[in-house]
Amino acid sequence: MSWTPAQLNDVGDLLDVGIFIVDAELVIRGWNEPLERMSGTSREEMVGRALLDAFPDLRETQGEAAIRRALAGGTEVLSHRLHRYLLPLPPPAGFETFDRMQQSARVVPLVSEEDEASGALVMIQDVTERVAREEALREAIQRAEAASAAKSDFLAAMSHELRTPLVAVVGYSDLMVGGMIGPITPVQRDRLERIKASAMHLLSIVEEILTFSRVEAGRESLHVAEFDACELAREAAMLIEPQALLKNLTLRVNVPADRLVTATDKTKLRQILVNLLGNAVKFTDEGSVALEVACDADRLVVRVTDTGNGIAPQNLEQIFEPFTQVDQSRTRRQSGTGLGLAVSRKLAQLLGGDLVARSEVGKGSTFTLTCPLRADAAAHPAPRERAAATNA
Amino acid sequence: MIIPPAERDALTELFNIGLHRAAASLSELTNQRIIVDLPQLWVLPLDQMRARLGEVVDGDLATVHQIFSGPVGGDAVLLLEYDKAALLANLMTGGEVALGGRIDQSAREVLAEVGNVVLSACLSAFGDMLRVAVSFSVPRMHIESVEGLLRSLQVGADEVQYVMLAATRFRLSELEIGGYLVVAVGVTSLSLISQTLTDRVS
Repeated sequence: MSWTPAQLNDVGDLLDVGIFIVDAELVIRGWNEPLERMSGTSREEMVGRALLDAFPDLRETQGEAAIRRALAGGTEVLSHRLHRYLLPLPPPAGFETFDRMQQSARVVPLVSEEDEASGALVMIQDVTERVAREEALREAIQRAEAASAAKSDFLAAMSHELRTPLVAVVGYSDLMVGGMIGPITPVQRDRLERIKASAMHLLSIVEEILTFSRVEAGRESLHVAEFDACELAREAAMLIEPQALLKNLTLRVNVPADRLVTATDKTKLRQILVNLLGNAVKFTDEGSVALEVACDADRLVVRVTDTGNGIAPQNLEQIFEPFTQVDQSRTRRQSGTGLGLAVSRKLAQLLGGDLVARSEVGKGSTFTLTCPLRADAAAHPAPRERAAATNA
Repeated sequence: MIIPPAERDALTELFNIGLHRAAASLSELTNQRIIVDLPQLWVLPLDQMRARLGEVVDGDLATVHQIFSGPVGGDAVLLLEYDKAALLANLMTGGEVALGGRIDQSAREVLAEVGNVVLSACLSAFGDMLRVAVSFSVPRMHIESVEGLLRSLQVGADEVQYVMLAATRFRLSELEIGGYLVVAVGVTSLSLISQTLTDRVS
């Protein structure tokens, strides 16, 4: 045989790979130092022994078959996932949850001077730690997914529990205000309107929290339909108008004269507009709020501009974080969950676009939403379904 | 060098024999029913291969290279588009590797083993036909581009290089995953193969 065991031992010892050599009769002819450590044996006791006597569990395994194929001239790769191990060895210290050391192996023929396969060289790598890490990662992912699902289910159930009584409060208030339960005085009407307003406000908060958690869990889906974006803009403005009037703000709506037909999720777009307009009115004490709708090539562009306090440059990204509010001049915290912009941006991304802010402290802010005019025109990436990959 | 149709058919059949054996090994290895077949075969000079390959694959490729030597020598490569390779590794291990479509270390090993089985089986079929012993190097798995692959094909430096390009199809779990075998040889090896095929066919 043309190999020199001493040289192979030196190289093998340098790498942290277990290497052994067998001859055509499967007698061990070489056994390196890492393998001594891995197996708890010494070179002296292994060299000269029959491999299958030293490791009876190796008999009739794919490992033995692979070694025999290498003796016949083949090269063998034994990946961990398909074989677990070649040589039955004990697990390394600290990994006793495994019954055996997990291994990745290669077997190559050793060729004599006459060009005949006269032995096989087996390389064994201990991958137990890697496998343990991969399995821990997989378990962590599963736990996180289960927790997320549990949280979403809980919130969905809770929101129903919260909504029902609130709807009752709003419903009965309406009945009483409308005089259906009996005559009421103007003062009573005023108080009932306040009760109703509070209930509706609470309802909108519940909705916001629920949307946020659904979007976080990736459970919000897109319902695409055609509608007129200009009409939606006017609708949203009408909802906000009372609040604007209360603060003596001018509300301007700037839309194209013709219909602007867009195909996207109307409910989500409305939610974003109402949120942006609501914020603009909330954070503006005097001046105006403007809503502008336009189209730019194949994109829908919606801008909400206010003459409010403005936002400092360092906070321009922070405002999109959930549960934060940045108030420039007042110490009094504005009402709200602090979720509105976080949700709006996620919804904008769901629509295939984005939401950005520009601002100047003391002058005002502009929030710009852009998204594809037609969400059904393959601009929106489909979920990862890499199944039937047919022949290229 | 043109390979006449009858010889090309014989060559296709040779690959099919190899792939059939490979499928049997892979099926046994993974305890699944796996079929591998070869819908199409081309024999081209190396410089034409770039264009042909560019037409049919895109983006990053997962490749397993196996250099072989003996009376015929060259470089054999199993190549799959990245996503398909990840899917193949995932299916072969019952969903254990390449989670999320990423080829991790475990997936690389599995692909190296699959490549080894397929390429060794095909090259052995050649060896059997030519009645010669072919020996193989340890297979190497890479993620590379078409350019990278073409640059790394190794055949005798001063020989004109030819390539047998075979479209392959892995069928398992009711899915089909398409890939390619590239066997690059020098003109001498190709002549030998061609001559032997001619003798067989006639």
